[in-house]
Amino acid sequence: MLRSKRSEYTTAAILMAPFVVIYGLLFVYPTIKMAQLSLTDAPLIGAGKWVGLDNYYRLASDRLFSVAVWNTVYFVILSVVPSTLVAMLVALGVNRLKGWTQSVVLAAFFLPYILPVSVVFRIWSWMFDKDFGIAQNAVQLFNNGQHLSIFRTIPLFMPAVAFVTVWWLLGFNVLLFIAGLRNISTEIYEAAGLDGASRWAQFTRITWPLVWPVTVLVFTINLILQLKIFDQVYLFANGGRVGATMVMVQFIFTEAFQMNKGGLAAAASVVLFVLIVVLSVVQFQLLRARGAR
Amino acid sequence: MIRKILYATLASAALTVGAAHATETIVWWDFLSGGDGVRMKAMLDEFNKEHDGKVHIDATTLEWGVPFYTKVQTSAATGQGPDVMTYHESRMPLGISTGSLSPIAPEELAAAGIKASDFGPANWKAAQGTDGQQYAVPLDIHSIILYYNKDMLRKAGLLGDDGKPKGLDGAANFDAALAKLTTKEVAGLSVPNDGATGWRIFYTLLNQQDGQFFKDGKFLDGDNLDKATTALAEMQKWVKSGATPANTEYPASIALFTSGKAAMHINGVWEVPTMVDLAKKGQLFDWGAIQIPTFYAHPATWADSHSFAIPNRVGNPVDPAKRKLVLDAVHWFNEHSLEWAGGGHIPAYLPVQESAEFKALKPNSDYSSLAKTAVFDPVSTLAGVASPVYDASGNYVIPAMMGDMTPADAAKKMRDDLQGQAK
Amino acid sequence: MTASVETGADLVAPLASRRLARLRHLDLVGLVITLVTVVGAVLWAFPLYWGLVTTFKPEYEVVRPGVELWPQHFTLENYAHVLLQTKIGLWYVNSLITSGAVTIIVVMMAAGAGYAISQLEFPGRRFFWWMILASFMIPIPALIVNHFILMSQLRVINTLAGVVGPQLIAPVTVIIYKQFFDSVPKDFREAAVIDGASEFQLLFRIYLPMNWGVTTALAIITFIAAWNLFLWPFLAVSSEDKMNITVGITQVHDAFGVSYGRDLAVAMLAAMPVAVIYLIFQRRVTQAIMLSAGIKG
Repeated sequence: MLRSKRSEYTTAAILMAPFVVIYGLLFVYPTIKMAQLSLTDAPLIGAGKWVGLDNYYRLASDRLFSVAVWNTVYFVILSVVPSTLVAMLVALGVNRLKGWTQSVVLAAFFLPYILPVSVVFRIWSWMFDKDFGIAQNAVQLFNNGQHLSIFRTIPLFMPAVAFVTVWWLLGFNVLLFIAGLRNISTEIYEAAGLDGASRWAQFTRITWPLVWPVTVLVFTINLILQLKIFDQVYLFANGGRVGATMVMVQFIFTEAFQMNKGGLAAAASVVLFVLIVVLSVVQFQLLRARGAR
Repeated sequence: MIRKILYATLASAALTVGAAHATETIVWWDFLSGGDGVRMKAMLDEFNKEHDGKVHIDATTLEWGVPFYTKVQTSAATGQGPDVMTYHESRMPLGISTGSLSPIAPEELAAAGIKASDFGPANWKAAQGTDGQQYAVPLDIHSIILYYNKDMLRKAGLLGDDGKPKGLDGAANFDAALAKLTTKEVAGLSVPNDGATGWRIFYTLLNQQDGQFFKDGKFLDGDNLDKATTALAEMQKWVKSGATPANTEYPASIALFTSGKAAMHINGVWEVPTMVDLAKKGQLFDWGAIQIPTFYAHPATWADSHSFAIPNRVGNPVDPAKRKLVLDAVHWFNEHSLEWAGGGHIPAYLPVQESAEFKALKPNSDYSSLAKTAVFDPVSTLAGVASPVYDASGNYVIPAMMGDMTPADAAKKMRDDLQGQAK
Repeated sequence: MTASVETGADLVAPLASRRLARLRHLDLVGLVITLVTVVGAVLWAFPLYWGLVTTFKPEYEVVRPGVELWPQHFTLENYAHVLLQTKIGLWYVNSLITSGAVTIIVVMMAAGAGYAISQLEFPGRRFFWWMILASFMIPIPALIVNHFILMSQLRVINTLAGVVGPQLIAPVTVIIYKQFFDSVPKDFREAAVIDGASEFQLLFRIYLPMNWGVTTALAIITFIAAWNLFLWPFLAVSSEDKMNITVGITQVHDAFGVSYGRDLAVAMLAAMPVAVIYLIFQRRVTQAIMLSAGIKG
């Protein structure tokens, strides 16, 4: 018995080792280092001297950082709410279809999700191109017949990037909702249908309560995902109003890789890290609550 | 006979092997993706052909501006990156302060035949750090110019007998000319909407009023703020009056001009080859280019200089033998910079700049007068391409131009923003 | 049998019965909803189509006003140019190597750790499980600065290994494996143990083969994520030769000015491999997404 226990330990150690090593080296260690770096005035590569919480004070009074925080939050609201709601509607629609129609329709909604962000960027720069973009035909209707440079108009930048992001990632959310919908037993619907319940009543009384947990899940996953927004904003803003459209990861990127301020960038990273960890914990609690149901 | 052939084959094989061994590769990065990039590619091909079997330049063109300089900085800090790269002189203070450039010793320059006296003194000095060391070798001086459509200007009575525009000097005259040129189908002037272009025009207009953007550690100090406001107001007027289409992307702004939908176009000299090549194919109207008109007190034009620099690859420096090859190549490019002048630029290398061939080169000779009153970017670690100043232009100058901000507000915010970063 | 790997069959039966119910009275509202869904799908896919069709047009047609849904003069010139003038072939290879390496390492590592936590008793097991759950949503982009510093200390910046490194943190994959291994009935295990099977044999002969669907699903989704990753490869690589395709197409300019058709052609080429994988393995990919969110049927 003792020997088999020991062999079990050995097996476990062998199986766990790669994961633990990678996890320690690439997650735990950099995280600790990040906290340390944030208390120094070091450049990106090289040593610096201890400055205490100076970097954090600087962030608190840094105009660009507050713009970045605000834009990040704004973007999260603009992208997460619509992508959750639209995904649910699409899922309800798709779920009614059958056979190959369902496959094709689902593929149409899902295909953008598998595109690299650079491709999404190219497609939508072309769609919205100020002079030759096909979407300008629609833009004209709302802009006195004039074309408009969507990604160079500050008030439109975030909504437009959020729109593109919803287009890009919607398929993922649709799948989660469909998975949720498939779990609803059809007998419930049949019972309701026989009782002559209206479609709306079916939705509000049966579908919605049962889909609610999925909604919470989709919402929180997207929330945490979009806090890390960088790629689209960076690509669409390049050459434009970087200061007005800055988001948090981009702030980190700019300070570290452009301005060579490793310490300040690390401090900003810590802020973002804490923010995401807090939200993750909240989400985890929500998931647990759902699991206990 | 057979033996002879065999020997010949062996000999040539041996030669090839030997040659392959002797070929040194220089890794080169540039950001030249405008019309001038085509010229650089041709020059690189020529260099490689001429040095076949000895030196080969392996060139990569990266995205201009922030992407390029970010790559340069991060790769240098980690001991990676090219053996040689193009670098804007305006950015030297920032590049030197972040330690991404390697100083070039006087002996190294001498060994390659590069002499300070072959360059304009200001041009040469701009590539030096505060420590007096040389960090780069200039290749050209470049600026913005006014491209124009001769037919359209003639129709509007704005073309002189010499084929050059007339009556454009003075802000009021320029605006009046724009009004004459602008019709329902044709814009008076097209301008790219990127921050860099905004900066170049703004800095030109500011300096035409003797405005100082940065002096003694202060941005837009005193009445310089008013001058900045005046400059921004003028740019805004172009858009507000409908003469300049708002927010035209870089390529589209060129397309507007070349397709006859804009009578004039302000852009860098590096788009000269675009026009030249189109004209050669018979796809362009009769066009010309001149120095930016004098809006205010006296002529002045923003200018910058492309130079060659060796990155300071930490822990993995470019070895001395390679540096020698690099500097030899740099010298070669300067000696051949008449070809580079075909990219619209003014060669930095005086023997070429002062040559009869360059002086006769069209259309460069129509605008090369700008060099006399050229103003370079402020010397500051906050200035230059891909710097806070360029960012600020995107954040304030362009919005002011497009009417999203008032000129006074934009000027003040730009000052406060940059001053805040100067701490 | 794992309950979660749902198949179309589960779906068809209820749909059929609902259809019957619907046929009893003409369902106008249902028809409208279906129509809206289909139109929505067409609109959703349109930008993709529009991007693709633009690549087949000569440049003068591209910038011509008006909407032409099919090129008048069909041309492959844009593709020819991109394939000949850029290093896209090399970027493909780099993407393939890095994404492949990430996929193989992540899946093997996660299967091992998932099995250990699910089936073995060892000190620290609960601690590790808790830690993995807690890092469910690791904010990797918040670590870019220190990943960069670490990778440069390891001297792997600007190498493919450096690109792979930070992508190997994959707690979600471990969680999913653990949950699936948990649901394998204990009888199998006991029977095999009596037969004298070692833990490794159990893992490779029983647990992995029984969850083959999970492994392929996880492999596909890991591969797609790695293929599409932008920020880290963008930071970690500076030379053109080491770039992957998502970075290469936005960072490297061919020196022939801007051309909408070519820009889009290179984008379409970048998207193609994953699009093909998706279209072939559509159902598996769909399952993988559902799994990755921890939803089980």
